[in-house]
Amino acid sequence: MRTRRKNGQQTVAYHQRLEKSDLIEIYRRLWFARLFDEMLYDAKKKGRLRRGNVYGSRGQEAIMVGTTYPLRPDDFVSPIHRDMPVFVFRGMTVEQVMCQVWGKAEAPTRGKDSWSHMGDMNLGIVHSTSMLGSTIAVACGVLWAQRLDGRRDRVLVAYTGEGATATGPFHEGVNFAAVHKLPLIVVVENNQYAYSTPVELEVPTKTVAERAKGYGIPGYSIDGNDFNAVYDTMCEALAHARAGNGPVLIECVTYRLQGHADHDETRARQYRPVEEIELWEKRDPLPRYREYLLNTGLFEESELPTPPLDIKLQIEQAIAYAINSPDPEPHTALEDIYDESAGVSL
Amino acid sequence: MREVTFLEAIRLALWEEMERDPNVFLIGEDIGRMGGAFGVTEGFLARFGADRVVDAPISETAIIAVCVGAAAAGKRGVAEMQFMDFISYGFDQVVNVAGTYLYRSGGKTPIPIVVRGPSGGYVGGSLYHSQQFEAWFFHTPGVKVVQPAFPDDAYGLMKASIRDNNPVVFYEHKYLYRRIKGPIPEAHEDYIVKLGSARVRRYGEDITVVTYGAMVHFALDAAQRLEKEGISLEVIDLRTIKPLDMKTILESVRKTSKVLIVYEAPKTGGVGAEISARIAEQAFEWLDAPIMRVAAKDAFVPFAEPLEKYVLPSVDDIVFAARELAAY
Repeated sequence: MRTRRKNGQQTVAYHQRLEKSDLIEIYRRLWFARLFDEMLYDAKKKGRLRRGNVYGSRGQEAIMVGTTYPLRPDDFVSPIHRDMPVFVFRGMTVEQVMCQVWGKAEAPTRGKDSWSHMGDMNLGIVHSTSMLGSTIAVACGVLWAQRLDGRRDRVLVAYTGEGATATGPFHEGVNFAAVHKLPLIVVVENNQYAYSTPVELEVPTKTVAERAKGYGIPGYSIDGNDFNAVYDTMCEALAHARAGNGPVLIECVTYRLQGHADHDETRARQYRPVEEIELWEKRDPLPRYREYLLNTGLFEESELPTPPLDIKLQIEQAIAYAINSPDPEPHTALEDIYDESAGVSL
Repeated sequence: MREVTFLEAIRLALWEEMERDPNVFLIGEDIGRMGGAFGVTEGFLARFGADRVVDAPISETAIIAVCVGAAAAGKRGVAEMQFMDFISYGFDQVVNVAGTYLYRSGGKTPIPIVVRGPSGGYVGGSLYHSQQFEAWFFHTPGVKVVQPAFPDDAYGLMKASIRDNNPVVFYEHKYLYRRIKGPIPEAHEDYIVKLGSARVRRYGEDITVVTYGAMVHFALDAAQRLEKEGISLEVIDLRTIKPLDMKTILESVRKTSKVLIVYEAPKTGGVGAEISARIAEQAFEWLDAPIMRVAAKDAFVPFAEPLEKYVLPSVDDIVFAARELAAY
């Protein structure tokens, strides 16, 4: 396993090369992710959202922003249930995402599936399912298609949880990618719990990153609540993958501050020690990044509002848009099961 | 016309589709260097290269998943299961990933993949090299299921399956691979057998036999024997199990008024059960006898010859059932 310390000199460089405009954009994206979560929890609580679960991502914002910010427009991502803002960072509109949450006709799935089970291949967003490990294997296929097209430098960032690394498809996918040196970056969001099951009952090694050894690929275990650490590691991984050296596994150590989903808030404070939750509240990535920005000397306090109110307004407008947009017609439930558009006389 | 074996018909269909469309690629275990366990892909690696003829690790999930992901990105992957029994490893990919993909992409991302491989018994393959689990996928929305019985259909259906925009599970009965020979059209004719169309392989008057795969040959043998007894069987080869060609089935049932459904899989919950239900729903008044089924016993396919023979349906079973129906 490679650690950051080994390449410390190099990894520091990446985030220090960012322009002031980048720093502001990153700050705003972190807040977008935070507000997205807060406002959907609120909508569920107040009964504005009546169907489906809200899977919280509070505390995991640095991972979403840090892993997507250095991507090229033609790279691929396959976000999972705690990465909803990634859809927006990669080109979906907030309105589209909210229509998906509310199960509306305009949603990318036309109301067929819920929450994060959506994608858009034109934006390079690969559709994931509830079987998180299985998407790692599907990602290999997307990359295989690029190989057939002579586009070996397009990277796919596949998100997964520490729990999903226990699945067979995770193994088959990473193994296949490693054997064929596919530019796959597996981001394991190790938030310590798979629903109620703690990481030590999912993974036998001290870190998830150690799994990388078995595939002969680099594995990083980093502080997932530190934007700069995530960003730097991601830049390094991208260079590795684009150069044709094969996949990289990045374990972002973080913590699920909420329940598995909004229905789980009470029990999530029973199956975990409350002190543990309080400890991780103090490691909140947002104040940490704000402090970093102030320490650079490039910003006045007033330039870094908590929160940026225009983002809140943007999300609220998208929620209102979704609530007021039409429901799918019942008969459309039988559409899109088969595609007969191609016929057989291609 | 070219006179070829069942296996060669499949090989030629794959070869010609690979030549025709650079988006088509093959992936499976031992398909490249070795040319496949049964030799279906012999010579492909040398012609098409390792990026289009992928020797995969023993990873049925990944093999099917690579086809799914590549399909989402515009390719047409053909996955070989070394034995169709092993598709159980890739079940989630077929059912939950490939089958649902178009639906959950709002109709934007079709998944044109073929999962093909040898299936079926009568070769002493024992438990894990003999099964016919087409009912699993027959029950799955979003997936098509094909099982040819003759070289021309194998050839035309494979081409149609590769060009189809949906996931297709393609069963090749290994008992037929080298035993059955027949004419297929020349390459330049671009011969296609439309998915979802059954074919009457023998016309008759007294009993409609609905079947597919190796059982078509058994039914034809039975028909020949019964002809001497004055019992005339009409044998329908479904060719495609899903979508099901009910039109051809119902037309025949209205003519004969007696139905025998023959399939090699365990009887309970098999494809024949659905066909029987649909005939009962849609042509009840035309029936002169109960719908009957000949299928495998509800057991695994055992190794020892007397055991295998006991479990799997035989020509005799079809003959006896048809006599019973004729006398009803």
